[in-house]
Amino acid sequence: MHILSTIIEALPYILEGTLVTLLLVAGALSVGFCLGVPMAVTQVYAPKPFSRLVSFYVWFFRGVPVLLLLFLFYYGLFGLMGIDVGTVGASCLVLGMTSAAYQSQIFRGAILSLPTGQLKAGRALGFTDLQSIRTIILPQALRLSIPGWSNEYSILLKDSAMCFALGTPEIMARTHFVASRTYEHLPLYITAGLIYFLITLAGVTMLRRLEQKVRIPGYNTAGM
Amino acid sequence: MNARPNDTPILRAEHFTKYLSGRKILDDCSISIYPGDVKVLIGPSGAGKSTFLQCINCLLEPDEGEIWLGDRKVDVRNTRELCELRQHVGMIFQDFNLFDHLSAEDNVALAPRKVRGMNKQEALKRAHAELRRVGLEDKARLYPAELSGGQKQRVAIARALAMDPTVLLLDEPTSALDPELVGEVLTVIRDLASHGMPMIMVTHQMEFAQAVATEILFMEQGRVIEQGSPDELLAPGSQTRTQDFCVRLHDLCGGEAAAQE
Amino acid sequence: MKRLSCLLAALAVLCLAAGAQAKTYVNGIDANYPPFAYVSEDGKPAGFDVDSMNWIAKHMGFEVVHQPMDWDGIIPALLNKKIDMVCSGMSVSPERAAVVAFSDPYYTIQKVILVPANSPIATADAAIRGEIKLGVQRGTNEHELLETRKAQEKLKYDLRFYDSAPLAVEDLLNGRIDAIALDSAPAKDAISKGKAVKIVGTFAEDDVFGVALRKDDKELIGIINEGYKKLMADPYWKELQDKYLK
Repeated sequence: MHILSTIIEALPYILEGTLVTLLLVAGALSVGFCLGVPMAVTQVYAPKPFSRLVSFYVWFFRGVPVLLLLFLFYYGLFGLMGIDVGTVGASCLVLGMTSAAYQSQIFRGAILSLPTGQLKAGRALGFTDLQSIRTIILPQALRLSIPGWSNEYSILLKDSAMCFALGTPEIMARTHFVASRTYEHLPLYITAGLIYFLITLAGVTMLRRLEQKVRIPGYNTAGM
Repeated sequence: MNARPNDTPILRAEHFTKYLSGRKILDDCSISIYPGDVKVLIGPSGAGKSTFLQCINCLLEPDEGEIWLGDRKVDVRNTRELCELRQHVGMIFQDFNLFDHLSAEDNVALAPRKVRGMNKQEALKRAHAELRRVGLEDKARLYPAELSGGQKQRVAIARALAMDPTVLLLDEPTSALDPELVGEVLTVIRDLASHGMPMIMVTHQMEFAQAVATEILFMEQGRVIEQGSPDELLAPGSQTRTQDFCVRLHDLCGGEAAAQE
Repeated sequence: MKRLSCLLAALAVLCLAAGAQAKTYVNGIDANYPPFAYVSEDGKPAGFDVDSMNWIAKHMGFEVVHQPMDWDGIIPALLNKKIDMVCSGMSVSPERAAVVAFSDPYYTIQKVILVPANSPIATADAAIRGEIKLGVQRGTNEHELLETRKAQEKLKYDLRFYDSAPLAVEDLLNGRIDAIALDSAPAKDAISKGKAVKIVGTFAEDDVFGVALRKDDKELIGIINEGYKKLMADPYWKELQDKYLK
């Protein structure tokens, strides 16, 4: 009973952290998307020097642990660049830049999986390459990316727990605080785990709905 | 030939040479299109027919050669001029290349909207008119994956026509189709030809070529070897390379082709 | 999407508002360090250090915001001006003093060995010289000290690192480690919360707590020292000790 009352008492505080976590994930996914799409397009279509640059970016952000990146940017580079967006903003940016590396590879794979004739057909009709990419390639590639993207969502959700390194008061940090006061570590961590599980489930379900909704009639994407 | 020497051709491709990974695929090929022309490129596979066709609207950039649109030379390195050239030159692909994420009507309406800046309603109206022309107005809302191969190719033709091309390039438009679907596509093409749409077509459908072509160009190893009206090149006993090739082709699949005609 | 943008806008306004008020200082705390700093039942920062600083702020005429931080990042945050001070049971050590300034010490704390109530380990010395698994919070003075001693005196303990003292206590109770080296305050906190653990003695010289500040922030250093002088002369100081540290 004591454990239960501890959890109930702590729940509002931890749920507030859930909002922070959701904000982090939404922010990071958006940043990752906005950077990832042009990066994927660059990697597939741009001249060598540019695609090399993107490859380097991807290599860097995939190779360095998120925790280190958080420190590196928050305490180092952002300071040098004069960027001050607070802990939540900085966490979103760093997670987002990391996610961009992964998302770009999801989109790149999707673009490469499209028949080359799609771009040709666009060109043949007088589209510029940029127009073709925007109106023909991306609408198809993004549809194909949804399953991979939903994977990225659940990974980001878990990575967001690391943002406490910057003092971002998300679910994990708050759970830890309450546990330090009450010494009920295990029940509280299980509670946090359940919250993460529910958020993951909700997000993945929503994305699956989206996938169904934008599915191209008669087109089988089950193999993707 | 119905071309009068003093006229300016609609489109001229001159002295095209193209290398692909060090190999010469096209060797000094030229072609001119006058109003009402239907030119058919034939020849064994690997002769460079498709390459030649794709060079004409610069889907492949020729290493040497000039393209003239009317009396104006096109600078293909200039994006604006390149896009303009391609708007004038419609292209039909062997494997249709319909936009898979768009319905038939949107496939046809997309370029008029995005390239020519038509509003959506206008473009859809135009799309329906073109789909009617290829006999598919009732399929306007269907997606490519819901259409048969023949229907897809007809939508692709409608899509090209919606841009009011001055010349149509057809790259083996029926060779990816099941035999029973070839007829419907050829009917549409024949109809276009009879309405005077200038065309350059790569095909192995010899009877069809003989029926609609104003000129046949026989290609081999990247060069145009013979060139002339079907009557000249295909007359029995004319002893041309073209005739020889057609006889062999006929022996191979003549029965089938005859069944479709 | 709309709700998100509202939230972001609200956040931006909050940040601006915080920046606009001139005399607001941010105190970075390790909220996993009861009873000096923790998060109370209603989700607010609380503890001996938090109340102390609140009192000082009130009497010295500034506003203070307590920002829970990760202990590993707390000094970088201070140096990068993300926070203005660390008043959160931070021991004064030469290593830290090399990069930050400390206020005058405000508390003396013992370094103790904590073992399970039924442990055969009877003294701190027995623990230190034994072949045991010894828990310690990462990035603390104790951590530093124990690593140095182990190397110098060829001691046999096997150090295990934790993010916070309470986590180490959990593992001690689980039997994964044999003892913990930690400050007396969190040790007593665990005992007061009914955990089956006991203190068997001290293993090092006492430490003193000071408020960490940026070296160039002379003004604030003066304010904090002056503030503690006032606080210690006030009956409230005794009250705080009774409330948190008994």
